[in-house]
Amino acid sequence: MTDRTLIVDRLQHPSGVVVLSVTGELDQHTAPEFTRVVEESPFGPDRPAVIDLTELTYCDSTGITALVVAYNHAQDARAPFVIAGLNSDLTRVFQIVGLDQLFTFRPTLASALGSLERSG
Amino acid sequence: MLSHPLPDQRPAGTGESRRLAALRRYEALNLPSDRAFDRIVALAARIFDVPMAAVALVDGDRVRFQATHGFDGLHEALRDSRPWACAITHPGPCVVPDVLADPRTADGTALGPLGARFYAAAAVTTADGQRLGTVGVLDTRPRTPTADQLRALEDLAALVMDELELRLSALHTLAAERRRRAEAERLARALQRSLLPPALPTVPGLNAAAAYHTASADEVGGDFYDLFPLDDGRWAFFLGDVCGKGAEAAALTSLTRYTLRAAAIYDPDPRAALANLDAVLKGEYQGETPRFCTAVFGVLDAAPGGAFDVTLAGGGHPPSLAVRADGRIEPISTAGGQLIGLLPGPRFVQTTTRLRPGDALLLYTDGLIEARTARGGLLGEDGLVRRLTARAPRSADEVLAVVEELVTELGPGVSDDTALLVLSVPPDNLSIPSHSQETR
Repeated sequence: MTDRTLIVDRLQHPSGVVVLSVTGELDQHTAPEFTRVVEESPFGPDRPAVIDLTELTYCDSTGITALVVAYNHAQDARAPFVIAGLNSDLTRVFQIVGLDQLFTFRPTLASALGSLERSG
Repeated sequence: MLSHPLPDQRPAGTGESRRLAALRRYEALNLPSDRAFDRIVALAARIFDVPMAAVALVDGDRVRFQATHGFDGLHEALRDSRPWACAITHPGPCVVPDVLADPRTADGTALGPLGARFYAAAAVTTADGQRLGTVGVLDTRPRTPTADQLRALEDLAALVMDELELRLSALHTLAAERRRRAEAERLARALQRSLLPPALPTVPGLNAAAAYHTASADEVGGDFYDLFPLDDGRWAFFLGDVCGKGAEAAALTSLTRYTLRAAAIYDPDPRAALANLDAVLKGEYQGETPRFCTAVFGVLDAAPGGAFDVTLAGGGHPPSLAVRADGRIEPISTAGGQLIGLLPGPRFVQTTTRLRPGDALLLYTDGLIEARTARGGLLGEDGLVRRLTARAPRSADEVLAVVEELVTELGPGVSDDTALLVLSVPPDNLSIPSHSQETR
């Protein structure tokens, strides 16, 4: 598989927030790439993690695992963890699997950044 | 080398039969005329500064040209027609500087159809010494080749052999790869069958129907279900979906299925069964990529009036649907229940419902509701409920038929495996199920 169906952009916001923007499909072929970027990300108490999924078009069970691995990575670094921009189909999936109890969701990247600034 | 008498070119003895057996191996390649051999014959002609050259394989009585330079339209020749076959039985390169001046070949027929006065050929020899054919050069004028030219001719023959070996090994690799793939697919199908009960048992006072719909023929999916008796005479069932595809998912499915059955014997409380599975999965995949599943696990208790009380626990699984005798569709939700095997301290949610005579309970995996409809949206629980309401099925078999019809309609929109298990209580059910036997 050489088709790149996932792009992960990492952006360090001036406030210290580390934003990972995920574009495309998060599945068994692309999840390792996402996990690689997560593991290189400098999450910490002053560097909260925001996973921006606004442009995520598909997420299978492997993608869900990768998001939980990212969450655990942030937890280990004592970094707040927020998921932004999850579409309604995936929101329903996340509710069914009970991840809505684990993750903090914000409708947009802006609201995710806003909520972290207020709490910080 | 010119002092050697030209040997008899006829096949002789067991040496020839071994040679032909070796030839068959390479002939299986069904060689097309090809650029590598074309380059070799062009090079041979240039080295000897002659107009004609060829690569030929020598059969029992025929010479078949694999590549020619300087002549066309001649695809094979009789083995007798020198010079092509002489290097097969001749030690070292076979050289005739002038056919007409050589007492061994002086009769005019030796000129052959190409009118060759001069020829030289080197054998294409396998590692175990079998001479399969030759690389030969011809001229219509007499010539005396140099030792360097003859060494080059032998090198070119060795190059042809290398090329043949390369293709044979590629062919073997390809054939082995095909065999491995066929075997893997056979194993995958066998494994898939082993993950599902061969037939649902007969449960007194209950009808059961199940189906497994695979989205991809070559990837083993990870859906599973089972219906089985507990030690105390009650019955239990489960249905679920493990993450991922392929052999690893199949291994996880197998582990999950047997863990749930074993857990139910140890403690038939549905929530305890899921918690036990969670612990087993975490232990199994410690330190590796985490692997999880979603599942519903239920226990059936006989209730008055031929009904069954169902205690259902769910972890990360979509709601089951009760299809009531009056046609209502009622979600039996275990919402809040979390993925099994992935999260620290996961929550599993338990609920109960009563299946009265005429009621059915549909359990499914998310491949169904996450299927894409022709309009591009997800079918969703809503779409499934609408279809069941419209068709108003009355038994496990009817509910299964309605859902299977829907799966068929969705076709390629169903991109994930889908498992279906339906339990129903016959409308006239009066039997009191107790201590029944599992029949398979």
